[in-house]
Amino acid sequence: MKHFSDHKKNGNSERKIWYKLDLSAIVYPTLQRRDFSSVYRLSVVLKEPIRPDILQKAVDIALVRFPTYKTAIRKGLFWRYLEPNYRPGPFVQEDIRNFCMPMPFKAGNRYLLRIYYYGCRISLEAHHSLGDGSGGMYVLQTITAVYLRLLGHEISDGYFVKDVEETPDPEELEDAYMKYANAKVCPKRPGEKTYRIRGTKEPFYTFNVIDGIMSVSEVMEVAKKYHASITEYLNSVLLYALLKKQQTEFHLKLKPVRIAMPVNLRRFFPSRTLRNFITMVYPGIDPRLGDYTFEEIINQVHHYMRYYINEKFLRGDITTNANTQRNPFIRVVPLFVKDFVVRLFYTRVQDSYSSAGLTNMGAIKVPENMKPYIERFDIYMGQPFSSRTNCAIVSFEDILTVNFASSIVESDVERLFFKKLVEDGIHVTIESNRT
Amino acid sequence: MSYCVNCGVELEPSLKKCPLCNTPVINPNELQKIGEAVSPYPIKTGQVDVVKRKDLALLTCVVLIATSLCCLLLNLFVFSGSPWSLFIIGACLLLFVLVLPVVIYTKLPIYLSLALDGAAIAFYLYMITFNTKSDSWFTYLALPIVILVTILVETFALLLRMFPVAFLTTALYFFIETALLCVGLELLIEHYLQTPLRLVWSAIVLTICGVISIALLTILSRRRLREAVRRRLHF
Repeated sequence: MKHFSDHKKNGNSERKIWYKLDLSAIVYPTLQRRDFSSVYRLSVVLKEPIRPDILQKAVDIALVRFPTYKTAIRKGLFWRYLEPNYRPGPFVQEDIRNFCMPMPFKAGNRYLLRIYYYGCRISLEAHHSLGDGSGGMYVLQTITAVYLRLLGHEISDGYFVKDVEETPDPEELEDAYMKYANAKVCPKRPGEKTYRIRGTKEPFYTFNVIDGIMSVSEVMEVAKKYHASITEYLNSVLLYALLKKQQTEFHLKLKPVRIAMPVNLRRFFPSRTLRNFITMVYPGIDPRLGDYTFEEIINQVHHYMRYYINEKFLRGDITTNANTQRNPFIRVVPLFVKDFVVRLFYTRVQDSYSSAGLTNMGAIKVPENMKPYIERFDIYMGQPFSSRTNCAIVSFEDILTVNFASSIVESDVERLFFKKLVEDGIHVTIESNRT
Repeated sequence: MSYCVNCGVELEPSLKKCPLCNTPVINPNELQKIGEAVSPYPIKTGQVDVVKRKDLALLTCVVLIATSLCCLLLNLFVFSGSPWSLFIIGACLLLFVLVLPVVIYTKLPIYLSLALDGAAIAFYLYMITFNTKSDSWFTYLALPIVILVTILVETFALLLRMFPVAFLTTALYFFIETALLCVGLELLIEHYLQTPLRLVWSAIVLTICGVISIALLTILSRRRLREAVRRRLHF
């Protein structure tokens, strides 16, 4: 939501714009550490090498359309807020090996997004307090479209490409959570400790990435064999890998294995917001009940998803979250106390409630005349908060990429995951930045 | 096009080993091609920008300057009996030097900043002497003690920087330096009081620290013992 405040400048009263952080954006800045920021990355691989000068022009043109992305984060007494950033930048830079680096709020001219190029790849890194992956995808695709137009190609608007000429719709800047968090009851947050991957921490700052590239039709065929969707199938494979990993490790007693999976709420609520609008669901398996076969896992995940992912349950979920923020007693507590409590809650409860993260952005759609210039998309969930691995899935045309990101040396979960895919007859090509 | 013999996944041509299981890639048909392919990831690694704590530095400076100035003016025009404001101005100066490496000039070498801290403390003590018109305690007691402590702290920092930091070695340095400090203090006090130089209370500290240091040295020199202690005392 856009806010105005009157402030005097050179004697003239001038309206200054600022934005409240949305409901989930409030959490991310509190988790900021010297060696951690909630930064995600979206990449698009084009078919020709990137020209940095043109890309910079495209960024400058496109970002005007996204006022909530050209911002800096500031501290108030009770909450943080976003303020338009008029400093020079963000500047495109050559890509680095250890991407998704921590993003100190005061560095880089206070911008919360970075744009990289390398070979044929354009990458956008954004702090999660600006918006979620879908919001970022609008920014990335609009930049790409403008870039291609500057190269002389004809690209139309549509899907994730916004018209750079038009003024942003207020609905794009709103906090959609508050609009739809109106259930009459707040379901309790579940809370049980799950299996944690133990691993050797890499030195500051190393970012290990393993990408698996496969064919959508192949995966679809295998998933159909199990009567599941691609998301359900890949979720089950990850659960299967985690269960196997737990079995092979030393353990006194087994713990449940659970995956934190963000759900894009735009699918269920008619909002056009470009900011965060996701909530988490936690498909899981409890091995204390007995040994699950892969078919049983997939069955469990399939029914869990069908049961939980619907408009009513999700509305209840966001209402629970929103009520915390609406509570007047919580609102008047100074920011540093909130930070302390939120951080404590997150590290003690939220983070230990899932063993890994998995996000599926699904099939990315682009305007028809942009298709020939695009090879594939990659998304990365960014550095995990604790020693675990995050998995992000995206597909474009017939290419499906599964990108694992972690800051630990061991890659057992990744190995077990891809091994299962290979066993199921899927051809996987691996790329990695590990040396 | 190579596959990992262990995992069965196809590997991107620039990979020299499988990132999943670390099995090296050997394709007999493509032996000479290894190392030719370009990695899809850049080689360059990035550095996180260092943020200067400008606001905090500015705030600290303003607060310290304002305090000194207020006291100076009050001293000059209102309570002008004695030069009491010098104490406060000195304290502000001392605080400024202490926070200097933390917020203002972060690249200052640690030895220099420690030396500056020592100098600032000595200067503050001198200011007290100057105000109270009594200087023998400063020259014979305070200054030598400040110099002694500064040297010991500098040595501690030097030792920590020079050798790999470990719990046991740090403890060793600490106990040796504590013993030296106590001996030095007692000798300086006796010298100031003009009594014969004899070790009394510091002898106890010296003995205890000596025993602990010898024990630590033994542990450190015996590898098996050292590992056992590390294992049991790790935290």
